[in-house]
Amino acid sequence: MAETASASTIIGPTIKVEGKLQGEEDLVVLGRVEGSISLTKTLIVDEPGVVKAEISVAHMVVNGVVVGNTTASDSVQIAETGRVVGDIKAPRVIIVEGARFRGAVDMGELEAPRPSASLPERGVTHSISTRTANVPAALPAHRATYAPETVRPATTPRPSAPASAVRSETPVAVQGKIHKKVVVKKKH
Amino acid sequence: MSNTVVGESIVIDGEITGDDDLVVQGTVKGKIHLNQNLFVEASGVIEAEIATQSVDVSGQITGNITAADKVELKSKCRMTGDIKAPRILIADGASFKGSVDMDVD
Repeated sequence: MAETASASTIIGPTIKVEGKLQGEEDLVVLGRVEGSISLTKTLIVDEPGVVKAEISVAHMVVNGVVVGNTTASDSVQIAETGRVVGDIKAPRVIIVEGARFRGAVDMGELEAPRPSASLPERGVTHSISTRTANVPAALPAHRATYAPETVRPATTPRPSAPASAVRSETPVAVQGKIHKKVVVKKKH
Repeated sequence: MSNTVVGESIVIDGEITGDDDLVVQGTVKGKIHLNQNLFVEASGVIEAEIATQSVDVSGQITGNITAADKVELKSKCRMTGDIKAPRILIADGASFKGSVDMDVD
């Protein structure tokens, strides 16, 4: 509600906008927008707002419904009551408990340092490291692509001591291989 | 309390329809169809066909207006287009080019 009050542009609950909408300020949608939205600031889709559009913004917060592909230069947050269908491309994508989303997420270059390494990543590393623990010598090339993430769980305490001991050895070796590969590519 | 505001830096190219009051401080091109009132503030620019209950113009409008109730052209506004409404008020200082039709059935 505080966000709603500070924003200068509001599309009210009974209003429908069809076409192209662009601007350099925050936009709160409580009504319906179809077409395209291009903003240099924040798009807030609040209940009962519905947006069916190609969206290009800095930030987006969804409490309502968004259908369409979104490109955000900073972040996309799907809140508890939010529903999104479409692809999201943004360096930060936050999906909270209760939010519904169908589509692809592209956070760009994953090698870059990110402010919040969160739960979904750890889930991925877990399944991968289990595989490496079982078959330590298998598929080194395949694991190489995931190496930056496989290194991470070594820092987090794990219940099974022998498994972590095996893992902490393999990823280090794998990481060494990657660095070599990257350097070779850059020289070309 | 007006629910819908199109801020100064916003440009809408298309159609706006609805049952809320609409305040335009930015730019709207295309069509505006409302069952309520349209307020075009001093910074507002509209190039559209307008059909509303009433229109209150302090900014700039290019296009025809059909209002069920009233059109008010305030001082310093610039309006180009035809106006059809039972009540039309044009203030001193307003500039207007177009025809007026108050004979709405």
